[in-house]
Amino acid sequence: MEIIQAILIIALACWMVMDQQGLVLMTWFPIMISVPAGIIMGDLTTALMIGGTFQLMNLGVANIGGSSVPNWGLAALVGIYVAVRTTGDIEQAKAVALAVGVPVGMLGIQLDVLAKLLNTYVGNAAKKALDQFNLKKMNRIFWLGPVIFMLSTAVPTALCIIFGEQIVNFILSAVPEWFTNGLSIAGNMLPVVGIALLLQVMPAKKYLSMLLAGFVFSAYLNVPMLGVSIIGLALAYYFFTTNMKKAPAAAAETGTVIIEEGDEWDE
Amino acid sequence: MSKPESNTPSKLTKKDVTKAAFRYMLMACNIFNYESQQGPAVVYSLEKALRKIYPNDEDYQKSLENHFRYFNTTTAMGNIILGAALAMEEKDGINSLDAVQNFKTGMMGPLAGIGDTLIWVLYPTIMGSIAAYMGLQGNPIGAIIWFILNIAFLFVRFKLFDLGYTSGLKMITALGDKLSVFTEAASIMGLTVVGALIPSVIRMTVGLEFTMGEVALNIQTGVLDQIMPALLPALLTFAVYKVLASRKMSVIQVIFAIIILALVCSFFGILVV
Repeated sequence: MEIIQAILIIALACWMVMDQQGLVLMTWFPIMISVPAGIIMGDLTTALMIGGTFQLMNLGVANIGGSSVPNWGLAALVGIYVAVRTTGDIEQAKAVALAVGVPVGMLGIQLDVLAKLLNTYVGNAAKKALDQFNLKKMNRIFWLGPVIFMLSTAVPTALCIIFGEQIVNFILSAVPEWFTNGLSIAGNMLPVVGIALLLQVMPAKKYLSMLLAGFVFSAYLNVPMLGVSIIGLALAYYFFTTNMKKAPAAAAETGTVIIEEGDEWDE
Repeated sequence: MSKPESNTPSKLTKKDVTKAAFRYMLMACNIFNYESQQGPAVVYSLEKALRKIYPNDEDYQKSLENHFRYFNTTTAMGNIILGAALAMEEKDGINSLDAVQNFKTGMMGPLAGIGDTLIWVLYPTIMGSIAAYMGLQGNPIGAIIWFILNIAFLFVRFKLFDLGYTSGLKMITALGDKLSVFTEAASIMGLTVVGALIPSVIRMTVGLEFTMGEVALNIQTGVLDQIMPALLPALLTFAVYKVLASRKMSVIQVIFAIIILALVCSFFGILVV
């Protein structure tokens, strides 16, 4: 049973990178990973808690334009596996997942860079095959690309599965309570990173009023997240319809269609 | 499938176009490299369709070599570009290669500008906030809704490739204008959700108590919560925002700083779980 779970978790690690970079169905966003991982491990609640925590750290992070970012999906996956294996207590599970997941997620940057470097050779080899007009060979070489990316997540996952449990059990028995408590507290504070990062890339100054409105609805009125989303949707809908009415008039005046690239976002 | 601008009979069937779209979406960034980025994936995507356009080996090879060159954009937007590029090559054959290359490099930047913010920042922010909030309560519904939306979005992306193939350039300029208003509207929704996230997901509880003679005053419930609910999370958000904006610390340094701060506060009992 444990071996089947381990194999399924490694298979999930392979699929998540392939999917994230291709079809984008399951993606490797932590909260999305936590559902299949939780089902495999037979503890959906703990998995969702861990996935949710990493998701919130991950909010403002996007690896766009070929940049490499910590792989919080991988962090959530190995965190869920090791936490479910080692502890039954939810607060402690969060601390364990954080202790295992954060370093592995950070390592994700280096592994991503390494995979993209290796793929430079794959790209060149495929091009060479085309020069010889050996199309079969070219297509075989193409598939090395996804294989390299899969290894970049499967190898760290396998290592955590093999060694994670013993190391974590040792640490849990050796370290004092304030330390594991501290990690749990950190887990409750770390969503701030994603939120602050997001505020950098979004027009937070321009639409500060929306940010404050959302805060008040949640903090003072305790409106659930879905309710706040509907309020946000209402504001967005109003903005969209009023501005779409303006847009054709402005375009008719100048006679040209201007594509705005959103420069004001960098302020 | 009728194309108004083409006077030669279509060499590609609807199935060929759909297949090219699927091959691009499957491979997209999976052969991503630092030299040509998505270049090899574009070749993988279009090779079957291009074979039908170029029965001649030499022309076919030239066309594939052209597609090996640097290409990178948001993959959903890439669908529009590659659909249009395929239509150009079908219409003008080997003579279109330079135009195809210019078109691809010219469009990929502006479309990525809109696409990346919309698809990789705003959409995961809104869905991620809702799904993570529900997840913290042990509820998988948010994640499942996100998954279902992704499936629906896959069909939209097939459609985008098709739109690029049938209407090409015209559609891109028309869409670009609407998209920028849409992006603004989406960030309004996104920021409302983010504002609500601050008090609901960041949790800091002060464990200290003030004792004056017989009376014990809990700092958290007696002082901080009286000033404003979620006061500490709001202050922490502002502080981290300022630190990140100043670029004096990297994101990773900030993460470790918070972990260390939490450990220290835990040791002295300032913060409790």
